[in-house]
Amino acid sequence: MKDISLQNIWKAQDEKLERSLKLNLRIFESMQTQKAQSKLNALVRFKTVAVVIGVLWSAFLGLLIYGNQGKNVYFTVSVGMILFFSIWATAAYIKDIILLKNLDYSSSITNTQKKLAGLQVSTIKSVRIILLQLPFHSTWFWTQKLVTGDTRFQLISFPCTFAFILITIWLYKSISVQNMDKKWVKTFMNIGPEYKSVTRARDFLSEIEEFKKDQDIKA
Amino acid sequence: MNKQPQREELLKLIEANRGIIFKICNSYCKNEDDREDLAQEIVYQLLKSYAGFTVEHKFSTWMYRVALNVAISFYRKTRTGSNVIRLGETATDIEDKTNYNAELEQNINRLQQFINELKELDRALMILYLEEKNYKEMSEILGITETNVATKISRIKDKLKQQFSIVNN
Repeated sequence: MKDISLQNIWKAQDEKLERSLKLNLRIFESMQTQKAQSKLNALVRFKTVAVVIGVLWSAFLGLLIYGNQGKNVYFTVSVGMILFFSIWATAAYIKDIILLKNLDYSSSITNTQKKLAGLQVSTIKSVRIILLQLPFHSTWFWTQKLVTGDTRFQLISFPCTFAFILITIWLYKSISVQNMDKKWVKTFMNIGPEYKSVTRARDFLSEIEEFKKDQDIKA
Repeated sequence: MNKQPQREELLKLIEANRGIIFKICNSYCKNEDDREDLAQEIVYQLLKSYAGFTVEHKFSTWMYRVALNVAISFYRKTRTGSNVIRLGETATDIEDKTNYNAELEQNINRLQQFINELKELDRALMILYLEEKNYKEMSEILGITETNVATKISRIKDKLKQQFSIVNN
């Protein structure tokens, strides 16, 4: 088949499309009356829910710290650190929402799609930030009396906290975009609804890179 | 500047170029409902993105960028395993059989099917090629070099020709 015939076949669609007026009339009517709403906001909705949960959780933690009035330094520091990581993760989600809302669809396709896929993948980053608070969940109930005077407590609590720290470091290093195909990461991430979209976005990012890469080889 | 005339003007431009939207919708959606949703989404984003449009840009280049970006995003959000148009399925749902040309109809469906089987970015590139955009414009829309555009088009065209020859033999 000659090259030109592909373009001619494509052109022949124009005539067909011109006769298909049902669709365009309905669309333009809705545009004129401003009824249209974007349907590409699933990711924004997911991240907004995460922000709402994050804000409520942070407010609750803030109230706990305020209520404690610094009476127990272990409680204040532990809950303070949990609050810090919660605010950090929430802020990361807020940043993503702002970027998604301002995503420029009139930029070049590789650029826009790369940004969009990157924002889907960034869910992983927020999960990793949230994980960093894990060790502090094993220290908030400590008191000066228990830490310095109770041997049984020391023998149980200190190793537990140390184990939490090791688990956190391991999880932080292991849960990554590259490891998304590992069975346990899949199981862990499946707790949230974003696993599939994150893996798809990661694969698409590779496709975009591949799509752009040829220029280096062939040029 | 008054916003309303700008919007009216844009709607007229979009309407004049609506063929672009419909062909992109046909290339990224299997179902009529999806095509309608996508067309609406594209027009929505065109209206939303209009603030960023400047006279230095060619309208069609800007429109292709928005339309293809929205189509790819929409496709990635809604795609299922069966999102490929098979031979015999009409992509455009035209019932009018006046001047019906069976061979042409078949070729249009085949071409549409082959395009639908391409990866999202290759599909965008092929649509631009079939729309007779030059390499410079294609590279601006896609964000890759002209050399890269030429290499990829040549490769995809070979693939399509091969597929056509398999079906025809």
